[in-house]
Amino acid sequence: MTLLKREEWQDFVRDVDWTLSYVDEEAAFPEWFSGTGKVPREAWLKWEEDYKVSYQEYVYTQREKETSTYAVKAALSRSTTFDHLDEGWKSSTKMHFGGVAQVEYTAVLAELKMARFGLNGAWRNMATFGQLDELRHNALTTYFGHEFVVKDPQYDWTQKAYTTNDWVPISLRTLFDGIMTTSNVVDCALQVPLAFETGFTNLQFVALSADALESGDINFANMISSIQTDEARHSQQGVATLEILVEHDPVRAQWVIDKGFWGSARAFAALTGPSMDYYTPVEHRKQSYREFMEEWIVDQFVRTIEDYGLKKPWFWDEFMRGLDTWHHSLHMGMWWWRPTLWWKPKAGVSKDERDWLREKYPNWETVYGDKWDVIIDNINNNNVEATLPETLPYLCSTCHLPCCNPTQSRDGSWRIRNKSLSYSGRTYHFCSNGCRQIWWKDRDNVNHQTLVDRFLAGAIQPMTVEGILGYMGMTPEVMGDDPDYTAWTKDYVGREATGLVQVGGAS
Amino acid sequence: MSAPARKPRKLRTFSAFGDVRKMPSEYEIVTHAQNWNTRAGRLSAFEQNPSSPMNLWFLTYREHSPLQVDDWDGFRDPDQISYRSYVHLQADEQTKLDGMLDSYGEAGAADALTPEQVTRLGALFTPSRYLVHGMQLVEAYIGYMGPSSYITSAAGYANADFLRRVTMTAYRTRELQLAHPDSGIGTQERGLWEQHPAWQPAREAIERALVAYDFGEAFTALNLVLGPTLDDLLIRQLGEASKANGDELTWLLCDVLAEDSNRRNRWSGALATHCLTSRPENEAPLRKWIDRWSARADAAVEALAPLLGAPTADVVAGAQAAREKFHAGLFQTAAEAV
Repeated sequence: MTLLKREEWQDFVRDVDWTLSYVDEEAAFPEWFSGTGKVPREAWLKWEEDYKVSYQEYVYTQREKETSTYAVKAALSRSTTFDHLDEGWKSSTKMHFGGVAQVEYTAVLAELKMARFGLNGAWRNMATFGQLDELRHNALTTYFGHEFVVKDPQYDWTQKAYTTNDWVPISLRTLFDGIMTTSNVVDCALQVPLAFETGFTNLQFVALSADALESGDINFANMISSIQTDEARHSQQGVATLEILVEHDPVRAQWVIDKGFWGSARAFAALTGPSMDYYTPVEHRKQSYREFMEEWIVDQFVRTIEDYGLKKPWFWDEFMRGLDTWHHSLHMGMWWWRPTLWWKPKAGVSKDERDWLREKYPNWETVYGDKWDVIIDNINNNNVEATLPETLPYLCSTCHLPCCNPTQSRDGSWRIRNKSLSYSGRTYHFCSNGCRQIWWKDRDNVNHQTLVDRFLAGAIQPMTVEGILGYMGMTPEVMGDDPDYTAWTKDYVGREATGLVQVGGAS
Repeated sequence: MSAPARKPRKLRTFSAFGDVRKMPSEYEIVTHAQNWNTRAGRLSAFEQNPSSPMNLWFLTYREHSPLQVDDWDGFRDPDQISYRSYVHLQADEQTKLDGMLDSYGEAGAADALTPEQVTRLGALFTPSRYLVHGMQLVEAYIGYMGPSSYITSAAGYANADFLRRVTMTAYRTRELQLAHPDSGIGTQERGLWEQHPAWQPAREAIERALVAYDFGEAFTALNLVLGPTLDDLLIRQLGEASKANGDELTWLLCDVLAEDSNRRNRWSGALATHCLTSRPENEAPLRKWIDRWSARADAAVEALAPLLGAPTADVVAGAQAAREKFHAGLFQTAAEAV
């Protein structure tokens, strides 16, 4: 082949900006979308991605990846692996398919927005590859999840989850509409490719891939590790944008990244934390959620932002303390409100599992042990009814997750504290100081009804648990339940019971 | 409450498809109702303050667009392009294209071009990368605003096809620059695009299309009018003129690019037909926008025609005929279906 090398001609592909004269620059690149802010327009001329790619390289590489990913899928579709997978692991995959597939599609929208409103031709071109990548991730996740619909109707939520008003999709739509679809392109590049993709997706993709292999789910591992190989390409939009923003407006850069990090951390505590520390069988766990966060998120993230002269976020201590509580509380809450889930949350608190939790989280027993003991004793006394929800929890007005983060008092006790603020004659509740601070700064934009607000406003009828489940789109054959109560309660059979609860009344 | 009752019901595919007799295709499975901001029963497009800037933007330019259909998810791309089929298709096409560039490069075809053809390419072909980049941006916007994931995905692939065309144009620009360093190719394009009178109506058209923020108008402006009209000049007529002037490579490359344009026309035509058959009132806004943008498209072709070196009237008539044939097809299909 005597084709010209990419380096010889690529500048012509990248150099496609011109000076508009028939319409105003501000009309074609409105501040709402382009968000240049204090950065002079000409500063974006320097925008440059480190790792260049051409269209032909893209389609050649991606064809190979697609061929191999689908070949593995086709080969495995004849195996009986799925039928022998642990229910806990299957729940991790159901949660992933339903929780992630359409977030990938929302990422398509984020990339299309940058492909239109990005402030440099090379940036817009890179975003075009980005939207293709996200179309791939959406298609793979959807198609792989679809395969199991015939075996288990909970996989129907691969497509259905985000079409409903279930509390999980409400929370995640709030986050991803905020950082992906409705942010201006500069904030979007910092929050999505930088804070979210170079950081948090590692957590879901690398960690879950390792757990999938351990659990024997080669097909799932094959899918998500192939998806992860695309991230390096389009996620470079983050650093290339940060380099320019930080030079002209470091305060904004700091705030936007901090906010993206915080929102992602809350979501992943709900999405990945329970999968890693409870659903994955204990013998297959590679690392605890906390260990994985420390290695893949904390170290890498801090290194990245410090390289650009930024500081640790203002909420750093609260976030680090939360690594010992957020996902444990969310796990307990999700297990309690299990009829609202499209997977089967396993409690995962047998004696062996508790030993593991205590080893990884020295405070676990103090904070959570007694609550689980009450639940265990009620189940062992044939009182499962008492462990089902009768009402709704407080939901945070920022992350829309339950307000359930305990913090330690000076006397050593752990309590969930009321973090609220009054605004325009209303009291808003928050799960944490971080969420409260973000809401206050962005209140005009983010102020909308939580599920509880909707309930109290009468939008959910009838005002019963059944009414709530109906509003959430939950149907009886999908509603989550513990897959095996005996598995984690049998160790405690015969002990003296504490805290037996009478259904519909006080204990 | 009582423990959840379990009554398993066998599903064959996603319940979103309803009680289907025929299994949906892979394309449908991965494309159907994927964009949550278009879901039924939403209070606002986005899960945030109903009067947030972006909720108002989508309310104004999508939910209140004059182009309205009850069932946007009823639209299908006739080519059923999904990611997997897209990269397979375009990697195969790219193999052909690389083969052509390689063979003609080795044969020194660029050196052998007539001065007249070098001038034609430098005036009409190489500067077109700015115009095509503008089309790439409008297509991205159509995808971003799309009222159904079937539309967003189709526009996403079309957005990538425009990048493909810019990429091929860039490659050829460099090749021609190396063969004809004194021709101005490779250095004069931006100047021609911004200043040369022949390019100004085209530049005006695409700049105005960038700010046509109504979803229906953006789609009509680019996919139903500017694309089909300008592609007739910049792909079909340029290809033919090149062949007549001994430039086989340009002719072949134009043929390859025509495949992308034709595919875009097929789904855009199908979408327009879907709009017309679902709601006949859509004809009025479509006709209004087609008239508005046809005048701009014709002005662009008329100004560019001399660069092709053919009689202006013929060039304009050819491009108009291509567009009108496309439109007649879709209005007629709709009329027959109603």
